[in-house]
Amino acid sequence: MSLFKRKDTLPIPPLDAEKYTTVCQYCSAGCGYNVFVWPEKRSGTAKSNAFKVDLSQQGQLMSGFSYTETMHNVITRKNGHKYNLAIIPAKESRINKGDYSIRGGTNALTAYTPTGVTRNRLKDPMLRKENGFVAITWDHAVEILATLTKSSIDKYGADSIAMKFYDHGSSGLGFEDNWGAGKLFLSGIKTQYLSIHNRPAYNSEVWGSRERGMHELNYDVDDARLADTVVLWGANAYEGATVFYTEHIMPNLQGGSIEEKQKEFASGEPAEAGRIVIIDPRKNATTSVSQDISAERVLHIRPNLGTDWILANAIARIAWENKWYDNDYLQKRTDMKTFEDYKSKSLQLSKSLNTVLADAEKITGVSRQEMEQAAEWIAKPKAGGFKRRTLTLYEKGIIWNMKNYDQVAAIAQLNVLTSNVGRVGTGCGRLGGHQEGYVRPPAPTPGSIYAGGPPKNVDKYITGGGGKIYWVGATDPYLSTPNSQFFKKMVKKRAANLLDYIDNGGIPLDPKAYTAKVLEAFEKTDGLFVVVQDIYMTHTAQDAMLILPAAGWGEAVDTSVNCHSRLLRIYDKFMDAPGEALPDWKILALVGNKLKALYEAEGNKAMADRFSGMDWKTDAEVFAAGSAEFGDNKVAETDEATLSAECYKGVTHEILRKLGNEGIQTPVRQDPATGKLVGTKRRYKYSFASKDGLFKWYGTDAWTGYPAEIAKYIDNPTYPFWFTTGRSQHVWQTMYHDKLIPEKYLSLPLPYMEIHPVDAGKLGLKSGDMAEVFNEEGSCIALVYVNDATKPGLVFGIMYHAKGTMNNLISSYTDPKTTMPWYKGTKVGVRKYTGKLDDAIKTASLLSNNDFTT
Amino acid sequence: MSDISRRKFLQTTSASAVLFLSGLSRDGNTAPPKGYPSKKIGNIKNLKVNEPLAFNYPDDKSPCLLVKVENEAVGGVGPGKSIVSFSALCTHMGCPLTYSKGRLVCKCHYSMFDVALNGQTYQGLASQWVAQIVLRLDAATGNIYAEGVEGLIYGRIGNLKLS
Repeated sequence: MSLFKRKDTLPIPPLDAEKYTTVCQYCSAGCGYNVFVWPEKRSGTAKSNAFKVDLSQQGQLMSGFSYTETMHNVITRKNGHKYNLAIIPAKESRINKGDYSIRGGTNALTAYTPTGVTRNRLKDPMLRKENGFVAITWDHAVEILATLTKSSIDKYGADSIAMKFYDHGSSGLGFEDNWGAGKLFLSGIKTQYLSIHNRPAYNSEVWGSRERGMHELNYDVDDARLADTVVLWGANAYEGATVFYTEHIMPNLQGGSIEEKQKEFASGEPAEAGRIVIIDPRKNATTSVSQDISAERVLHIRPNLGTDWILANAIARIAWENKWYDNDYLQKRTDMKTFEDYKSKSLQLSKSLNTVLADAEKITGVSRQEMEQAAEWIAKPKAGGFKRRTLTLYEKGIIWNMKNYDQVAAIAQLNVLTSNVGRVGTGCGRLGGHQEGYVRPPAPTPGSIYAGGPPKNVDKYITGGGGKIYWVGATDPYLSTPNSQFFKKMVKKRAANLLDYIDNGGIPLDPKAYTAKVLEAFEKTDGLFVVVQDIYMTHTAQDAMLILPAAGWGEAVDTSVNCHSRLLRIYDKFMDAPGEALPDWKILALVGNKLKALYEAEGNKAMADRFSGMDWKTDAEVFAAGSAEFGDNKVAETDEATLSAECYKGVTHEILRKLGNEGIQTPVRQDPATGKLVGTKRRYKYSFASKDGLFKWYGTDAWTGYPAEIAKYIDNPTYPFWFTTGRSQHVWQTMYHDKLIPEKYLSLPLPYMEIHPVDAGKLGLKSGDMAEVFNEEGSCIALVYVNDATKPGLVFGIMYHAKGTMNNLISSYTDPKTTMPWYKGTKVGVRKYTGKLDDAIKTASLLSNNDFTT
Repeated sequence: MSDISRRKFLQTTSASAVLFLSGLSRDGNTAPPKGYPSKKIGNIKNLKVNEPLAFNYPDDKSPCLLVKVENEAVGGVGPGKSIVSFSALCTHMGCPLTYSKGRLVCKCHYSMFDVALNGQTYQGLASQWVAQIVLRLDAATGNIYAEGVEGLIYGRIGNLKLS
């Protein structure tokens, strides 16, 4: 009867099972997990087991101990023996307290097994031959890649090498791998054509805040429980950072953290159940869950796409007008010289309040009343004159908005204007997507257009014929880059041109002959040598010439920080990587060391030196090597703002192993008085991260309408709908794991779109139908859900899915100040697709995923 | 009358979504679960659409629900294959599930399970689909029997392993 094989019993780890601590491989919450490994044939008992839980009794609700079908697997180690693997949420972690999401709850199912759903992991380096890929040795792969890289640098310059690599933590990545990539690409190759993860350039997503002197991760999970008001701005916390919402925001809304507030707040200060302001064009699940808890403490504001900075400035103006700011704080902690620019351009003090708000209403579609209510909930002092405590978290709805820089800056400034940073229950920054783990040598472009930028647009470089080698690491740009349909077309064409040239007369296997032929192709064609380094065969890898198999989560020792506390923990190795797969840092080091040897062989010391310092033997050595980048961290608590947000200098893998799920919060200081390592709970209590410690104001741009890439669709009846994208709670990123897990792919078998009943009626669409979403950039066929998440005139699509990507529809526009794309907005047409993929659709629930009422 | 608790769960009715189940295998890909008791839990004549019955199975520490939905459901019995049964413990952290509008809802963390589609988590935190009770309908009497559980009941190392 079941749609897939179910279990009704689980193996029990014996008392002496191997135990490791780790952190979930998925979202920014970074829930703590405990890992147990024991021989397949051995078993503990209900009373005596490594969980230290009496399993003979019915488990109680919310006990903090969960061990479910999806938390167990059987793995095979390199010794050929089978082992049980249990990965369960850590009750002792203050991040998740035993809670877990639908993503983290399936961590065990993603483990590599030779005969299970993950059996098709990449196991060997592979070279494209005439009729597909052949497995080759690492020596062979490294010789080809290093030789081509060197020849390309020597002949065409370093910029002939382009890369697109993750720079974040979790997912089996972190400080170690990021230091490896930094050493190779930033110190060694020194190309300017670097791009991060899924976007077209090498940039911070939040220069608008960082260049004010405020790193985006400045709060603690506790602040979400202690805030009077939590603002989620373009940040779908329930679905995107699930356990952060359920363990820290939800209790606050429910009034469950009032006692904690009473302990932390000033004497006599009012402490009540929290309020939440959700600014999102969709009535997403975060909104409807919050409303189900307490509708009167939820304010949901739905601005027109691309207009949020106008809204933030209007709310700030209302706060200004009502004097809901602390002049002493502004004078002492912020740069009053730049404040004039903010007053003039952002607050628009030369115009009357009525004019500013009327303009803002017209642009944003948000009523003055809603703006005033938001301003009250964010900034109005509480009874007794106590400052309100507001925690504002923004995410992709802001950073992937039109005008990335101004959007982020406007929200950061609203919070500093109202003193909502550096105090208990406050903070302003990213909700986060991934966890983080960035340590690299300085990037070629240090900041936005105001600070040495903007960075190069690698997508435009590649699609315009630039570059010879394009090295993609743990990202799948065919699905994830903006304007992906065009991108894919151009990369495919250039890869095919290269293949066609070297295939003429047969592709030689011998590395010397092979590289000679590729170099000839570089000279004669616009061919692009695509290298993909990943754990699975990706969409992009279909067009690669060389594929490098990487180790995944749990197959190497990694370290990362989560986003909501900057909590640094170890993600220990508990199993072997499949086949010949290696940790990313090791792959990068193999190529770096080979490049060094090649330059040494020809006596080019200057170039050889650029690739030195990569001869690490262990993950712990890479971690230690990276820490030197942070400089001196022997500073007092009052100088924490001078430290890099992720500074871990002095911390070792061994220390982290001892700390386990407790971890330590970055930036870590070596206290000058005691010499001890001390974490930082909350940032910017004393000063900001600028040279003089003052917050730097910025006058944002005025509304000037939409960029040409979008303006062409306005008033064009072929594309009547505004279109935005987002994620599903169920699946992570491109579904690289989830497409293999029945609990996930049966529920979400196809890319999907959401449309309002009014629009669906006009198009004759109902839930379970299929439709084509299209514009002049591209198209995507999607399963239709009709619900009230979107407004009439707005269509939502899942950003990408293993079976298709909505990024086909996204324009090539980037913010000229930062080169950040506007992933979240364009215009489209929708037409009903007459066919239907019944076999896929029949397992997908069509119930409304934003209706929680009973 | 059987020994089941007949507490009617808070629920509302609404049009359930259109389902496409025509091609769905009824046989599944697993062997029938072994060692479970056969227990009479209701009679088809007493079941009304969207009005669930509560009972315990396979022992008194495991609350379950029996419900007739509007359309054909995976694992459903009865003339319209629309009678299904599930564990009433959320697979996420063991909170009670409430039947409403064709789904089971947990108000602890808002996981929701589609009862017509194998108890799948279509929204929320539960990584494991809710355990479905295997039903048998005795055509002569209209009696409905619980005869097995597919999937793990929350809080157990095995469905039949409590001491």
